[in-house]
Amino acid sequence: MVCIRQATIDDLLAMQACNLMCLPENYQMKYYFYHMLSWPQLLFVAEDYGGRIVGYVLAKMEEDPSEPCHGHITSLAVLRSHRKLGLATKLMSAAQAAMDQVFGAEYVSLHVRRSNRAAFNLYTSTLGYQIHDIEAKYYADGEDAYDMRKMLRQPQPKKHHHHHHGGGCCSHDAPPAAAGSSPTSTSPEKKADT
Amino acid sequence: MDSSLPPKEANLFKVIVKSYETKQYKKGLKAADSILKKFPEHGETLSMKGLTLNCMDRKSEAYELVRRGLKNDLKSHVCWHVYGLLYRSDREYREAIKCYRNALRIDPDNIEILRDLSLLQAQMRDLSGFVETRQQLLTLKPNHRMNWIGFAVAHHLSSNSSKAIEVLEAYEGTLEDDYPPENERYEHGEMLLYKISLFEECGMLDRALEEMHKMESRIVDKLSFREQRASILLKLGRFDEAEKIYRSLLFMNPDNYKYFIAVQKCVGLYSENGQYSADDVERLIALYKSLKEEYSWSSAVKRIPLDFLEGEKFQEAADNYVRPLLTKGVPSLFSDLSPLYEHPGKANILEHLFLKLEDSIRTTGCFPGSAQMEPPSTLMWTLLLVSQHYDRRSQYDIALDKIDEAIAHTPTVIDLYSIKGNILQHAGNFSAAAALANEARSMDLADRYLNSECVMQMLQADQVGLAEKTAVLFTKDGDQHNNLHDMQCMWYELASGESYYRQGDLGRALKNFLAVEKHYTDMTEDQFDFHSYCLRKMTLRAYVAMLKFQDRLHAHEYFHKAAAGAIRCYMKLHDSPSKSSAEENEEMSKLPPAQRKKLRQKQKKAEARAKREAEEKQEDETSSSNSSKSGKKQQARPVDLDPHGEKLVQVEDPLTEATKYLKLLQNNSSDSLETHILSFELNMRKKKVLLAFQAVKQLIKLDGNNPDSHRCLIRFFHKINSLPAPVTDSEKLIWNVLEAERPDLRQLHGNSLVEVNSNFLEKHNASLTHRAAAAEMMYLLEPDKKLQALKLIEDSTNNMASGNGVVGPIKEWGLEDCIDVHKLLDTVFADQDVASRWKVRCAEYFPCSTYFEGVKSATAAYIADNGFESTPENGVVPNPQGKVSGDACTLNGTLHIVDELSNLSVR
Repeated sequence: MVCIRQATIDDLLAMQACNLMCLPENYQMKYYFYHMLSWPQLLFVAEDYGGRIVGYVLAKMEEDPSEPCHGHITSLAVLRSHRKLGLATKLMSAAQAAMDQVFGAEYVSLHVRRSNRAAFNLYTSTLGYQIHDIEAKYYADGEDAYDMRKMLRQPQPKKHHHHHHGGGCCSHDAPPAAAGSSPTSTSPEKKADT
Repeated sequence: MDSSLPPKEANLFKVIVKSYETKQYKKGLKAADSILKKFPEHGETLSMKGLTLNCMDRKSEAYELVRRGLKNDLKSHVCWHVYGLLYRSDREYREAIKCYRNALRIDPDNIEILRDLSLLQAQMRDLSGFVETRQQLLTLKPNHRMNWIGFAVAHHLSSNSSKAIEVLEAYEGTLEDDYPPENERYEHGEMLLYKISLFEECGMLDRALEEMHKMESRIVDKLSFREQRASILLKLGRFDEAEKIYRSLLFMNPDNYKYFIAVQKCVGLYSENGQYSADDVERLIALYKSLKEEYSWSSAVKRIPLDFLEGEKFQEAADNYVRPLLTKGVPSLFSDLSPLYEHPGKANILEHLFLKLEDSIRTTGCFPGSAQMEPPSTLMWTLLLVSQHYDRRSQYDIALDKIDEAIAHTPTVIDLYSIKGNILQHAGNFSAAAALANEARSMDLADRYLNSECVMQMLQADQVGLAEKTAVLFTKDGDQHNNLHDMQCMWYELASGESYYRQGDLGRALKNFLAVEKHYTDMTEDQFDFHSYCLRKMTLRAYVAMLKFQDRLHAHEYFHKAAAGAIRCYMKLHDSPSKSSAEENEEMSKLPPAQRKKLRQKQKKAEARAKREAEEKQEDETSSSNSSKSGKKQQARPVDLDPHGEKLVQVEDPLTEATKYLKLLQNNSSDSLETHILSFELNMRKKKVLLAFQAVKQLIKLDGNNPDSHRCLIRFFHKINSLPAPVTDSEKLIWNVLEAERPDLRQLHGNSLVEVNSNFLEKHNASLTHRAAAAEMMYLLEPDKKLQALKLIEDSTNNMASGNGVVGPIKEWGLEDCIDVHKLLDTVFADQDVASRWKVRCAEYFPCSTYFEGVKSATAAYIADNGFESTPENGVVPNPQGKVSGDACTLNGTLHIVDELSNLSVR
């Protein structure tokens, strides 16, 4: 039905369109470039039989040396029209596996709106995430976020059945503060090569 | 002038530089001012002060100071470097490169300047310059990893992969045996995978495998490693080994279609066009049977065989495939099957199957031949599937009946309303479609997908204001009313632009089309920071792929649509200049030249004043909002002085503007008919005979049977034939070219245009669109044959489409084509009688169409039930119900824009 595969640079525009179609947290293209050019192994897409991108996961590694090595789900979305196929679960599993295998992540974190019960259920009951903290007024509209975590270095039961969570899409990170600033602040610019 | 400063000031100068790097601009400014107090003409200080001011958004002062600084100290590499940085910040890369080069003339080994130069060369794809600069950097600092990598990448980009490999191997030679340390394993692994991909690229497949074998333990990205290894083995014809890897990859991810295709290739059962011999099909059946046993949880393994199976076997497989999905209720089932409708014969088989399932569920509650009672929802999902099937086959009446039945069965399933909206849209009733989409939206206000679909439908129905109000429910960003533009929401801008264009508001249409164009410019810009970043991060495969992606960025469909839209707007502006500017020009032309100039200057000053005031106002606002919002820094955004595109339509020479965008299309979308049709239209208006002829040649080459290609061909030579004999040398030259080229056009071969046209008609006699084109050209060539031409159109018959359905005949004609014909009759032929006869006829074919005012086209009929109430909590006024046929005449033949847009990625 739907192909799950690693994203390529050619998927980014479609991923952005998919994000704008169904999530309230949006990002400029540069932010997608930033992910793809930093952790190309952590981006996955769901592509339907006609070649359209109907879901994606955008993930990264946190690079703060004061914390243990861990991954972070920036954004996950599946179009409403493609629910009930277990796509969100498959995308998440793929990204988590890559974090573990390529980057040796100890755990993976994500943010989810307190009101997003469907996504919350997906993370807790299907994917094994637990609430780590609550970030007050994390989202632009003032809503709180659950800061959730899942350990990766524990044996996980293999699941092949499709979990059907009720909600179509699952939103995560609030966009970087000033429009599109994030890649520049987080990434490039003048740092040593002298 | 001596540029050296006394120690105290020299230290202050260091403070300026440091402050600039740490973005403490105020501090830097203070230091600069205290130097300048003593040495007011010190060049480097002036330059640095300018650069600092540039970061504080004081552009004009910045340029003035930097230029003055340079003038005072032409021999300073600092001054040149700063000048380059200033240009770079304004994206004036060519100018910046010149400045860096001047700086390097003074200080050839300056690492920082060389590095900055190399970034610009990568950005501008000055590849030979890039290689040169990276070589210098490596020579100067060979102990830096980044310089080795940069040199290798530079060679790779300038198509010298083998040299790139040499550089990487030389770099590896500098490494200790125990390299890499734990914290650099990822980077090193990426470098190795990059090197292996270089081997693969230059066809050194055995070397690549050898390297993989040797380095396996040092490559952390095991997935890429295995995929790459399998693909190389496949290329080498070592099929068994490749297949083994692909099967293990499938075990990890049985939903990756590429792996299945690869397995097929390994066993010699893959055909690009999906055509297989009977024997191959048997083998494929056996292959997928075994794969299904091995990967029973894969959905792909069940779906793929539907592509190659035929006839009864297809029906059986389809039956097995859809049943569990109907029981489960998978909304995307139809969209998953829809590619099969392109396969001859399969649509009919599916129709039989679906109707059989529907009938069985309805009468027995079970699937045929099964004793298992289905849940009640199975009937609803089956009805939905049947409805979508008929929608796909353009039998909208039946589709609507079925979806209504599904809604009556379970009125709470939101998706049913969206899909009903889509059917109505296809059937030609846009306002009803928008109303349905709005109903779906109001059933779950927190779902942005429903909101987006609704906005799409509203735009298609030309309810732009309502669409914006609806979209904004999700796009408020702090104080900002609407962040759709900032977030590069291109489908929205394109659909708005199309709607404004249909409604004749060229200013707002252009505004939207150019907004999309700007996003692409910004994306090109986005790559800049990554030229150095990726060399550090070592994500080299992704980096090179990104550069290649950037090189064909403007071939992307959104850009194509935006550019085409803008070109159409400009041509329309040329054909009928906006009234205000025409009047203005007239007034202006009455004045003597000197006064005209004065008036223009006055206008310019007034504009500048308005801009300043607006900026000041904005500054006040942002500073106040900054103080209220701690932490989040908001950048001051330039004020849009022309929010409605009023200035855009006042452009002096619209055709020159259009040419800019046409060039981008020609360079990036040369295989699209539309590109050359636009080129033809534009160049005919510009009287560029040879360029128009080029367009005709391209059209004939791409598709000589296309009605528009035919129109352009005839119109071109008809125009040429009507011109007076050439007089000037250049005219004669053009004539000679045309005479020489003419025989090359097969269509023309010694025929008169009238003959060419009748040949075309004869060849495509059964097709409505071709007949319409031939009739139009007949009227153009021989105006006295108007009646004959009209008869040609009226005598067209709406035949049954091949592959007839079970329920009622399927007619061939599409709604969009029929609308185009009506417009042709109405405008080009200007025959109201024939046009209204056509309308009555089409109203029969398309009873839901508001354009043809068919019997079922009243919007209210579709939204009467199901409590279509206003939803006051979100502040959006529902679509006024009475609005039925009034807006029909604003349609413009772009019926399927919502579909087209969604094809790109969404829905």
